[in-house]
Amino acid sequence: MEPENEKYNKVLDLLRKSKPGLDSTDDIEREVIKRIERVNHAGLFLSDAFDFLFGWVYIQWIRRSLIAASVALVLVFVYQQSVILKRIDYLSRQTIVTERESRFAHAEEVEKMLMVYRNSGMRFPSKNITISERQMKELIESVNELQLKYKDLENLIEEDPELKKMIEKKLIENNRTNNNL
Amino acid sequence: MKIIVLIIISEAMKRRSIKLIISFLLMFIVSCNDPETVVTNYVHPDGSVTRKIEMKSIEGDIKKRFKISEIQVPIDRSWTIKDSCEVDKKGDTTWIRKAEKLFKSVDEINLTYKSDSGYNKDFSRNAGFKKRFKWFNTEFRFFEKVDKLLSFGYPVKDFLNNEELRYFYSPEKLKEEKENGPDSLKFKALSDSVKHKTDEWTEKNLVSEWIGEFSKLADGKADNNMTMQSLKARENEFVKIIEKNDKQLDSLWKNGILLREFLGEENALKYKTEADSALSIVTKNMFANFSDYSERIVMPGKLIGTNGFIDRSNILLWPVKSDYFMTEPYEMWADSKTPNTWAWIVSGLFLSFVLTGVIVRIIKKG
Repeated sequence: MEPENEKYNKVLDLLRKSKPGLDSTDDIEREVIKRIERVNHAGLFLSDAFDFLFGWVYIQWIRRSLIAASVALVLVFVYQQSVILKRIDYLSRQTIVTERESRFAHAEEVEKMLMVYRNSGMRFPSKNITISERQMKELIESVNELQLKYKDLENLIEEDPELKKMIEKKLIENNRTNNNL
Repeated sequence: MKIIVLIIISEAMKRRSIKLIISFLLMFIVSCNDPETVVTNYVHPDGSVTRKIEMKSIEGDIKKRFKISEIQVPIDRSWTIKDSCEVDKKGDTTWIRKAEKLFKSVDEINLTYKSDSGYNKDFSRNAGFKKRFKWFNTEFRFFEKVDKLLSFGYPVKDFLNNEELRYFYSPEKLKEEKENGPDSLKFKALSDSVKHKTDEWTEKNLVSEWIGEFSKLADGKADNNMTMQSLKARENEFVKIIEKNDKQLDSLWKNGILLREFLGEENALKYKTEADSALSIVTKNMFANFSDYSERIVMPGKLIGTNGFIDRSNILLWPVKSDYFMTEPYEMWADSKTPNTWAWIVSGLFLSFVLTGVIVRIIKKG
């Protein structure tokens, strides 16, 4: 064991004494300094940018103006959206017409035409007349008569609750049948 | 004719419905040459409008069908026109004309209204478009307006409450649905009330318009004692006389009885010509030839307001009837908006920036 230990120590001594020879220590030194400088420079750049972007927070009037502008923007947004939502909500409650409007056959229009016709000296614009004046008069008289009879009938129904009930029932049944069709 | 009327009356009496007879009567009163027309305006964000017109006619004669002088809205050769027809189960033919044109702006639409030679050419109609930038959104308004007919009439809102007004301006189909729906009695009462009040409104307009026109004509006459003010003070009295005599108004006017009651014996003779002329003008104005149609508008973006009705295709709908613009201009308008995405992004970034700044300050201060 003794000679082996000696041999081992001799090899170690030999290795310790034979250090690697550095032929460009200046280059290594320069490279190390450069790398250290680069790390310091990067930190400096970020800090500059941050200061540049948020430097205004240290200037009171700019800080206050920007905060006021932000608050105004939020208020405008809230106001605009609430007005719009209110209007949309109102629209959603609007009645929906299930059919396209038809121009023909509306009782009220004709009644109105007849009323105006009677009240304005019985004159219709020539373009709308497809029957003679005499026929028109007969027609109006017939309508007047019919309206009177209809009024009588309405009064009769109003005065008799049972009859009224029966007619309403019939009308509802008719409507149901029409809707089913 | 009398036979037809009698048949209608007997049929109506059988069914106890005056509406039925009135519907039949319409067939004889209204000329059938003018087609059933629906105008649809597709409004684009840049203010251009694609206008589509659909006309339906049951007129068999090809020369009379869709005749320019009979149609409600102006169309010319510059439009793309497609004709077709539909035959129903009964074998009845309905002729359909679809016309389409892109207008660069509402000014072009207004020009066509000015040069209109159709049935409604005597009515002043115009369209308008407004675009408002509101940072987060851009808002659009499109409208079509028909100017009023009478110069001295009363607004219908003076006679009807809000519910009645809504009913008055409703499309006929909607009125029919309501009158036949579950609340039929309520709507029947509403309908009767509207009818009664609009009759009053029409009578009052007739008198007011006559007073206005008569005063204008009598103004230049020597020793004129018929001032607008003095006649206006007696307006309600005139209306009552008309209401009382509505069945025989024609003969009473022709015989000069009404005028004597209105103005007195001496003035009735003195102003006979002016009174007759005024009545002619009023009759012409109140009986102006107008053929009804429907107007529809499709707005860009999201719809946010309108005074119209929404139809089954989710498109806005207005009936256009002469009653609506008798005493006041009738404006059909719609508002919509489109979001400005870039403005939302810019605002978000700005708010984040300010918020970050405030946080940075708090941290550094702390």
